[in-house]
Amino acid sequence: MNTTILMVAAVLLPIFGGALVPLIPFKNRMRMAIYVETIVLMTSAVVAWLLFHRTDDIFTLFRFTGNLSISFRVDGLGTVFAGLVAALWPLATLYSFEYMKHEGHEKYFFMFYTITYGVTLGIALAENIVTMYCFYEMLTMVTVPLVMHTLSREAILASRTYMYYSIGGAAFAFIGMVFILVAGTTSEFVPGGVLDPEKAANWRNLLLLVYVLCFMGFSVKAAMWPFSGWLPKAGVAPTPVTALLHAVAVVKAGAFTIIRVTYYSFGTEFLRGTWAQAVVLIFTIITIIYGCSRALKETHIKRRLAWSTVSNLSYILFGAALMTPLGLVGALSHMVFHAVMKICAFFCAGAIIYKTGREYIHQLDGFGRRMPKVFIIFTISGLALMGVPGLCGFISKWNLAKAAVESQNPLAYLGIAALLASALLTAVYMMTIVIRAFFPGRDFDYSKIQDVEDPNWMMILPLVLFAVAMFWFGLHSSTVVSGLEQIASVVK
Amino acid sequence: MSSWILLPVFLPVLSGICLLAASFRMHLAQVRGETGSGFLMWALDRKKLHTFVMAILGITAVLALAAAWTGEHSVTLFYLMKDVPVYFHIDGIGRLFVSIVTLVWVLAGLYSLAYMEHEGEETGYFGFYLIVYGVLVALDFSGNLVTMYFFYELMTICSVPLVLHNGSREARMAALKYLFYSMCGAYLGLFGIFFLYKYCGTLAFTAGGSLNLSLMQGNEGILLIAVFCMLIGFGAKAGMFPLHAWLPAAHPVAPSPASAVLSGIIVKSGVLAVVRVVYYIVGAEFLRGTWVQNAWLVLTLLTVFMGSMMAYREPVMKKRLAYSTVSQVSYIMFGLALLSPDGMTGALLHTVFHAVIKSALFLTAGVFLYMGGRTRVDQLRGIGKEMPVTIWCYTIVSLGLIGIPPMSGFISKWYLASGALNSGTGVFEWFGPAVLLVSALLTAGYLLPVTLNGFFPGEDFDVAEVVKKEPPRVMLVPLVIFAALTVILGVMPNGLIGYIGQIVSALV
Repeated sequence: MNTTILMVAAVLLPIFGGALVPLIPFKNRMRMAIYVETIVLMTSAVVAWLLFHRTDDIFTLFRFTGNLSISFRVDGLGTVFAGLVAALWPLATLYSFEYMKHEGHEKYFFMFYTITYGVTLGIALAENIVTMYCFYEMLTMVTVPLVMHTLSREAILASRTYMYYSIGGAAFAFIGMVFILVAGTTSEFVPGGVLDPEKAANWRNLLLLVYVLCFMGFSVKAAMWPFSGWLPKAGVAPTPVTALLHAVAVVKAGAFTIIRVTYYSFGTEFLRGTWAQAVVLIFTIITIIYGCSRALKETHIKRRLAWSTVSNLSYILFGAALMTPLGLVGALSHMVFHAVMKICAFFCAGAIIYKTGREYIHQLDGFGRRMPKVFIIFTISGLALMGVPGLCGFISKWNLAKAAVESQNPLAYLGIAALLASALLTAVYMMTIVIRAFFPGRDFDYSKIQDVEDPNWMMILPLVLFAVAMFWFGLHSSTVVSGLEQIASVVK
Repeated sequence: MSSWILLPVFLPVLSGICLLAASFRMHLAQVRGETGSGFLMWALDRKKLHTFVMAILGITAVLALAAAWTGEHSVTLFYLMKDVPVYFHIDGIGRLFVSIVTLVWVLAGLYSLAYMEHEGEETGYFGFYLIVYGVLVALDFSGNLVTMYFFYELMTICSVPLVLHNGSREARMAALKYLFYSMCGAYLGLFGIFFLYKYCGTLAFTAGGSLNLSLMQGNEGILLIAVFCMLIGFGAKAGMFPLHAWLPAAHPVAPSPASAVLSGIIVKSGVLAVVRVVYYIVGAEFLRGTWVQNAWLVLTLLTVFMGSMMAYREPVMKKRLAYSTVSQVSYIMFGLALLSPDGMTGALLHTVFHAVIKSALFLTAGVFLYMGGRTRVDQLRGIGKEMPVTIWCYTIVSLGLIGIPPMSGFISKWYLASGALNSGTGVFEWFGPAVLLVSALLTAGYLLPVTLNGFFPGEDFDVAEVVKKEPPRVMLVPLVIFAALTVILGVMPNGLIGYIGQIVSALV
């Protein structure tokens, strides 16, 4: 079978399949669920097939003009991101069927939710910066309705903030793209960068400035300080959105695009040791601490997790900004492992909100005894986020720190300190919830929370799978990490 | 194949998890008004629960001691990361630690059987009690730094519920404080591990250290900083200034037998970690005469004095004992910081003696709580008339802690002082012993009033009203054993000294 066709299929199947959801007259809710899940599973199957039969073929969908084209290719870096979303999407969709029961407007929800899958894959499989940029913009467009879903005043304001931030960021990213097209030898992604050596020497400082702007632009989606404000606000969206899009797909698309431009467009040899690297490193380090501190202050459970995401995404950006292959390994491993940990934590939060309607942390006293499955898994994800050895968070932290030590950059040493300080804050903001839930005090009156109980299997199954994955990756990371090392070995 | 040495790790951990599961099921069943069945009913029955716990403790103890004393086993369990195995290797020091852990764990477990009746939620308590035991055995058997770190963190997390046991607001705040300080310490340790990973030939424990001298060239500065961070970090568990504040908050709120193991044993994990880092990874040679050694000595002496002073001023019995731990464990740290054979011998001896003594002291404090709910020292007048055996045990171990011959503490302090005098550390040669001496006086000042007021309550005390009532036998027996050990180890310390001397001679 021709793999090139399949690449397009992976991108277009969910886009068109999703667009059809409101048009098809489904007899009942179950039919729609089956339809959506089928589309999603088929896409994931196609992606899985692509990952295991990787060729270097390029498929050009169409050309705008000259060397501007929409083209796809499955390369090492792309497989990590594509594989990640392909593994998580079906589970998240399963969870959504149960969760969205009480939210309404399900058809539109699933339409945009499924389209987003295709668009995210488009970013992952993009062969050149133009394609990636186009899908990046589309991602903003298709996810705005998801944030707006409840149509409450708060949701509308949040989606507006999200749109302004994203479009503003994309404008800066656009500058980066233009300069790559002008100063680069090609628009394709080439490991090690595409800058024309002569132009790179002549326009050195200008290009560095452009890199910083481009980094900032893409980092809006990755919620780097000072562009992080939209993410916690967007927590008004239904939990499947906050869990999958605002902990994995959308925000990691931001990190992914940054890795692309750093390692595949500008090239790390050009950037390493420059003031541009110092600037972006400082921003990521600030965000690592800033996100955690805000999480600590936050009393709404989903917003707390969102701030935690802000911090954790900057772990990834920090790894990427080290600009060494090892740094890339650290960044990618945290990209994968954070996805599992955070989506799990969000799903637990979602289960709490769905089953009990409680959204604030101080309302969770004693819940651990009444919904033990959810809270044990929440505890595991909290421990993983802290980076307790034996769970996957430790592996990525180890890889990041190893890269930072190897880089022998004093700012990177500061970064290690920030990682550990943030882990400490993580311990506090996650464990306060756990302690509250499991140890409400001897005289706590459990009859006050009579209505609280574990949700059904559709919600528990993804949680259990994520918990198993956290242990699995934590105890047996060498396969994944050596795969990532292989991918990172092509960049210099 | 010697993978069987991991049985004493897995057996208690798995049994502990079973107990926790039973505790959860029990709670849900109670709420729903169901009557449980099978294992659930079984765990509900106190007597059967106690049999189960003691059986597991006993079997584990036998297995752990067998594993420790039947040769130099090593096992690679799996690879945590590509070049970082989870590796267990039993060496001299691990053997020593695992033996103390086992001794205290079994005796405190025995004591818990009676004591925990008045605390409630026994299933959960024993669940975590067993889990922490398994984790500690693994910690002592660890053969490289990452494995040790793995179990070090697990130990912290699994022991938090012991602090949280009574669920009061105070306990919650104390548990958070414990978690925060311990994690802070662990992460400082981890910071150092990242650097050692680069500059050491191997993270496996090697007597005398495994620094890669050629790689290290020119990076001594950052490496010293890394090691200092590790000392502060792992020192947090050992209650060393500046990360000591959690200890007097967390130890007293736990149920007394848990306080005993926290104070007697778990703080020693910090000591073990420091020994491993200093003597088995970087090597004493690298630190000798550097600013790190001097700073470390200053911190330990400061802690010794400060801890004793705070204990002296503290009216609540368990808090007083917790401050005493702060002070006493820094004796051990001081001995380690001397980087001399005698200092290290004294430190390891004091590790053993303090474990025995401090456990006994906390168990006594537990007796006061159990028999009449007395928490403050001034409520203990005439207590010697009421429970003479208990107070005699208390007095014997107190004398041991002060360091009065023939009790055990004398031996370790002797080694610490003579180690300091011959250590070549300049001003610390005489200043160290002076601080130890002052602290010993303070120790007498904060421990002996209980005995004095207990036996000699004064003129106005009506002796006739006192009913003689010793605690139940399962609580008394551990106390007597600990007291006897304090005397025996003080009178016949040569076997232990010889064993420790062997370990030390390979290191310094």
